[in-house]
Amino acid sequence: MSDAYAVNVEEVSKSFRDFKALNGVTLRVRRGEIYGLLGPNGAGKTTLIRAICGLVEANAGTVTVLGQKMPDVGVLRRIGYMTQQAALYPSLSVQENVEFFAAINGAEAGVKEALELVQLYDRRGSVVSTLSGGMRQRCSLACALVHKPDLLLLDEPTVGIDPQLRVQFWDYFRAMAAAGTTLIVSSHVMDEADRCQRLGLIQYGRLLAEGSPADIRAQGGSQDLEEAFLALAGRKES
Amino acid sequence: MSARRVRAITRRLLEGFRRDRRTVALLFVAPIVILGLLGYLLRGSSNVPDVGIANQDAGPLGSIVAGSLNHSSKISTTDIDASDGDAKLKDGSLVAYIVFPSDFSQKAQSGQITPEIHLEGSQPGQDSPVLQALQQSLIEVASQVAGRSVSFQPNVHYLYGGPNFDTLDYFGAAFIGLVVFFLVFVITIVSFLNERSQGTLERLMASPLRRGEIVLGYMLGFTVLALIQSAEVLIFSLAVLRIHNEGNVLLIFGMEALMAIAAVNLGIFLSMFARSEFQAVQFIPLVIVPQVLLSGIIFPVSSEPTGLQWLSNVLPLTYAVNGMRDIMVKGADLTSPGLQLDAAVVAGVCVLLIVAGSATLRRRVA
Repeated sequence: MSDAYAVNVEEVSKSFRDFKALNGVTLRVRRGEIYGLLGPNGAGKTTLIRAICGLVEANAGTVTVLGQKMPDVGVLRRIGYMTQQAALYPSLSVQENVEFFAAINGAEAGVKEALELVQLYDRRGSVVSTLSGGMRQRCSLACALVHKPDLLLLDEPTVGIDPQLRVQFWDYFRAMAAAGTTLIVSSHVMDEADRCQRLGLIQYGRLLAEGSPADIRAQGGSQDLEEAFLALAGRKES
Repeated sequence: MSARRVRAITRRLLEGFRRDRRTVALLFVAPIVILGLLGYLLRGSSNVPDVGIANQDAGPLGSIVAGSLNHSSKISTTDIDASDGDAKLKDGSLVAYIVFPSDFSQKAQSGQITPEIHLEGSQPGQDSPVLQALQQSLIEVASQVAGRSVSFQPNVHYLYGGPNFDTLDYFGAAFIGLVVFFLVFVITIVSFLNERSQGTLERLMASPLRRGEIVLGYMLGFTVLALIQSAEVLIFSLAVLRIHNEGNVLLIFGMEALMAIAAVNLGIFLSMFARSEFQAVQFIPLVIVPQVLLSGIIFPVSSEPTGLQWLSNVLPLTYAVNGMRDIMVKGADLTSPGLQLDAAVVAGVCVLLIVAGSATLRRRVA
């Protein structure tokens, strides 16, 4: 039964000193879906993503990814992780960066395809430090998906990106989901929520609501996702 | 020019330091530590060189001078057999020995004072107290032999080094290793810190890479650079500076390589304790300078105050410097137990640092 889920987060809590970043979060992500993790800055989205790929050890609760209890090094091969800021080697070229992340995942064959997907193949020789922010973000995405992971974790991939590129990114994401990849995309921009199959609303380290965009609208009692979210957040607080 | 704008910059600077307690601590603690260490090294020194005396004089003068040397504050003397002298220099129990030959008194009658001085010679700065003490004693004695003009003509023998060694020959051996150690350390610590600050380490941690693989990969990469640098330094030192070398060039290179590997791993290890490049560079006065002062490069370890000798003997750089000198000044090879110890200690430290480096690289960074 757990095989239906790519990610199974069960009652996970994580504190940094006095600060409760995650407070008993439970959520399930189905295989092949685009799951949107929505919430304001500091809500715990990044901590949750890091807990899913085993970079954060939870104080309580369990995380199961692709049928394996985390942390598990074997599963990491099947996960792609795009960090919030484009974490790249600035003195290497686009291709060298992607080749490096391909090599440490044992997937050298996928470099060209990844570069073509993010439309950087023509710029593959450019040194990263000379690229614009948007191109770095695309290069970073290529590094995260070059080994064709089964689960792709994207931490605010569209922050600081112009609307055109954002549309492109969502095209990539949909294409990948169609090919069977599970995607978890975090964002604090509500208008991206409609592009996801299911959503998790997170605030103060808690999951406020979960469901399809239509479910969230119904739960929040508003046709506007942002208003629905605010309504749900207010209801929880009072 | 606006005073307010200038003040804004000054204030911003000081405010930044207020949040970086470690930098402030370093700014005020490091000078005290370094100067205090230097002061203790130079003034606290209670250890005078051990000098052997072999009196073979048939006449009375030898024992008079020997008696005077016994009271010298510059050296501490023991009576030895002249035939044991070289062995005692080699095993390090003596820094020098003085022989008064059988015709010492007789020659003094004719105005020639000719003691034999045998110096170990591999460490700079150890010879002068011996020569000074002897000279002082002879002046005392000469004043008792009134009315005669005497000339002081010691026969000086060196076990290692010698009159054709200049200062660079003594220091060069140690510096060849130190230059490589220092530069490789700085480059490693800063670039490993970059890996953290640019976020790529987080990515590596979320990949199937093992910690050991990261540390080993780093080590190999920097070692390749360090070896090329070592070769360059060595060729420059031997061919251009013409630093005296008694030993095997490949051995020197091997020792340099060991030091470079130690420096790489020290850099990786210490980068865990720095949050910025700024803080990383602060490890230089904290970690490198005291080691250099205590390693025997400038001040021989045997002349340090006893407490500092203990410290010197646990610092790896001491062994590295000693090893380099053993090879280049003494011409030691791998059969020498001294060099075996030096190489073993430096290699052991490398292994220790590799383990420590991988251990501090936590998969769960938080």
